[in-house]
Amino acid sequence: MMRLALVWLALLALLAATAASSFVPLGGWNSALNLAIAAVKALLVALFFMHLSSAGALLRLAAVAALLWLALLFGLSWTDYGTRGTSPAPWALRR
Amino acid sequence: MPTTQFDSILERREAAMLGMWLFLATEVLFFGPLFFGYFHSRLASHDAFVAGSHHMHFWLGTINTAVLLTSSFTMALAVQVAQDRGRFLRLLLLASAALGIAFLCIKGYEYASEIPEVARAEGPEQVFYLLYFAMTGLHAIHLTIGAVLVIWTAFISARRAIRVEVLGLYWHFVDAVWLFLYPMFYLLERYSA
Amino acid sequence: MSYLAEGFSLRSWLTTNDHKRIAVLYMVAITAFFFVGGAAATLIRLELATPAGDLVQPETYNKLFTIHGVVMVWFFLIPSIPSVLGNFLVPLMVGARDMAFPRLNLASWYIYVLGGLFTVATLIAGGVDTGWTFYTPYSTMFSNGNVLLAVAGVFIVGFSSILTGLNIIVTVHRLRAPGLTWFRLPLFVWANYATSLILILATPVLAMTLCLVALERVFHVGIFDPALGGDPLLFQHLFWFYSHPAVYIMVLPAMGVASEIIPCFARRPVFGYRFMAYAILAIASIGFLVWGHHMFVSGQSLYAGLVFSMLSFLVAIPSAIKVFNWTATLYKGSITFAAPMLYALGFVGLFTIGGMTGLFLAATAVDVHLTDTYFVIAHFHYIMVGGSVMCYLGGIHFWWPKISGRMYPEMWGRAAALLIFFGFNLTFFPQYLLGWLGMPRRYHAYPPELQLLNVFSSAGAVVLALGYLLPLGYLGWSLLYGKKAPPNPWQATGLEWQTASPPPKHNFEHEPVVHQGPYAYDPVR
Repeated sequence: MMRLALVWLALLALLAATAASSFVPLGGWNSALNLAIAAVKALLVALFFMHLSSAGALLRLAAVAALLWLALLFGLSWTDYGTRGTSPAPWALRR
Repeated sequence: MPTTQFDSILERREAAMLGMWLFLATEVLFFGPLFFGYFHSRLASHDAFVAGSHHMHFWLGTINTAVLLTSSFTMALAVQVAQDRGRFLRLLLLASAALGIAFLCIKGYEYASEIPEVARAEGPEQVFYLLYFAMTGLHAIHLTIGAVLVIWTAFISARRAIRVEVLGLYWHFVDAVWLFLYPMFYLLERYSA
Repeated sequence: MSYLAEGFSLRSWLTTNDHKRIAVLYMVAITAFFFVGGAAATLIRLELATPAGDLVQPETYNKLFTIHGVVMVWFFLIPSIPSVLGNFLVPLMVGARDMAFPRLNLASWYIYVLGGLFTVATLIAGGVDTGWTFYTPYSTMFSNGNVLLAVAGVFIVGFSSILTGLNIIVTVHRLRAPGLTWFRLPLFVWANYATSLILILATPVLAMTLCLVALERVFHVGIFDPALGGDPLLFQHLFWFYSHPAVYIMVLPAMGVASEIIPCFARRPVFGYRFMAYAILAIASIGFLVWGHHMFVSGQSLYAGLVFSMLSFLVAIPSAIKVFNWTATLYKGSITFAAPMLYALGFVGLFTIGGMTGLFLAATAVDVHLTDTYFVIAHFHYIMVGGSVMCYLGGIHFWWPKISGRMYPEMWGRAAALLIFFGFNLTFFPQYLLGWLGMPRRYHAYPPELQLLNVFSSAGAVVLALGYLLPLGYLGWSLLYGKKAPPNPWQATGLEWQTASPPPKHNFEHEPVVHQGPYAYDPVR
């Protein structure tokens, strides 16, 4: 019970941190910080509220697999979007 | 209902947990194209996204995040109580559902107040609103389903610890999705608003 | 008492939780859709028998190939082996009494039927003309057809696949009989397990992508619209993230079927069992890394094209391992050419041709010439029809005694298998040549000099259609007049053969205990 309460308080503290940080001009780092905090919050929820910290290997694998496959979607698509400017297909060039 | 396929309660619990985690994996990938679309569109039209974000209700969004985190907390307590055969299980479940419904009410108010703004939007800002309504709307649908299931469980089958535990996983997952939606839509360059 | 005798009323079927009955429900439903898709294909081939577009209007032709693709891909091929044979056999093969989630299993059939109703409604409303790929911006901005209705059908049927996949994974993990370790699992179970992983990891992406198409169509705002900073290619990336792995959803279970039939009728243990299992997992994983080869000329970057090209070549390695191992299994075997074996051997040959021509298409330079030609059509029909459909039919024959409790007429079975093999090659081999000569896909008319090959292809389609109608006749006949099947008519290994034909409601009289690996066939000297 105690541990759950601590996690809850930590989550609220992180919420306050992310909300406050958005008023500090950091340029592109604002979004990075916000997403990092969101990831930490989601990790806390997964580890303690969803008991992933004490779960067996199989359940952890299921959780990681989903994120890995999402990363595949982002990563391999980015081989295209990241290089459209530098190595466009010849037929995509504007003449 | 008697189950014929499992040898023991333990086997049944393990199957239910694995089933729910796999389902949540499909949910991650279900939301995936929306996140990818957001990522792509925001890089393509950053300014429009910042402008759209400045029309969001910062305080309502923040309060709503706290409401949802608290509902997750009460749900985590409910799972613990169900396993320990402790007291106040029904109360905790209903509290989680009530907080979920409170979230939906606040969100509904936000939607209603944003509609005139959306009607005026032009160009890429429309994409921001499309993604905003699609993603938060999909989240709200998930939360509604969750609230119905939690209320149903509270009254019908709260003593089945496996059901409460599996439902808790779903509830926390829906919460975790919001944790990403909140900064993505509410917090873009707040300092310049 | 057999599962078939548990109840004879329609209600007893429509409310069943028994995985075997649900498999039969699926079999009935997908057979109906197979003939809908087949009818569309027949009309396509009839139109192409003459160079002029004289049988149907161009718009009608577009609707025909669209409905052929949508129905065959989502309502036949993808559910064919996993939802029918997988549903029936996976619990039997792992020694379980049912799937892990029997009610979910029934629900997934109803979801399939609901999705099917949407597709039938699309047909009645006048069809849809986007092609089965629903490419933007045509599907979002220009098509006047019933895109929303068609997309809704595919969206819904996706959840049926997801739930079946989830059920199979949990069943394989949690309900294996005592002593049945992972490396004692039949390769059919491995194949369905890997397929299920693809089903649950890829299908949700398609579902949401189709939602985005629907949203853009309704609100005229979307992430695929370049005027608003979007990108039509984004659709293709998301679509093929699902639809390339979907090819492996179709062919991996077929490989599983072949891996059961070939050892049985060669009386030899499968060669290199562990490599076969690893190859299945490798194909399932690498299958997710190659989707960009559908987009070589779409305008994606050259760099992405090279990355996807190289990754595509990798799939050839585990696929080749499988072909070599099936062949090596035959070596010094005592081979019987029963109908299932004819299908399985046909599969190995056709899959090899289909796979090798896939390498042509994975080479970026060659693909520039071959994109959107009949070469592509021939290639993927060799995989999907020559691969999946051959093995689906082979599996239906192999396990027909188990499913129905009756033997099918062997001579008819062999005749149909040979007819299908002949008809298939006559239909699709000329299409390789047509594609190489530059005939584009999706046109209802073509230059007269291509007529000879097209006539061959259309004639083959007639033979193929006859071949597909034959089993419908004699398998139906066998239900009433076939010889009663013994528990193990083929002297096959595998737990499904150690129970009655057809099995009792909960599969086994006593829970089986496993002491050895699969395919313990004694080589006959």
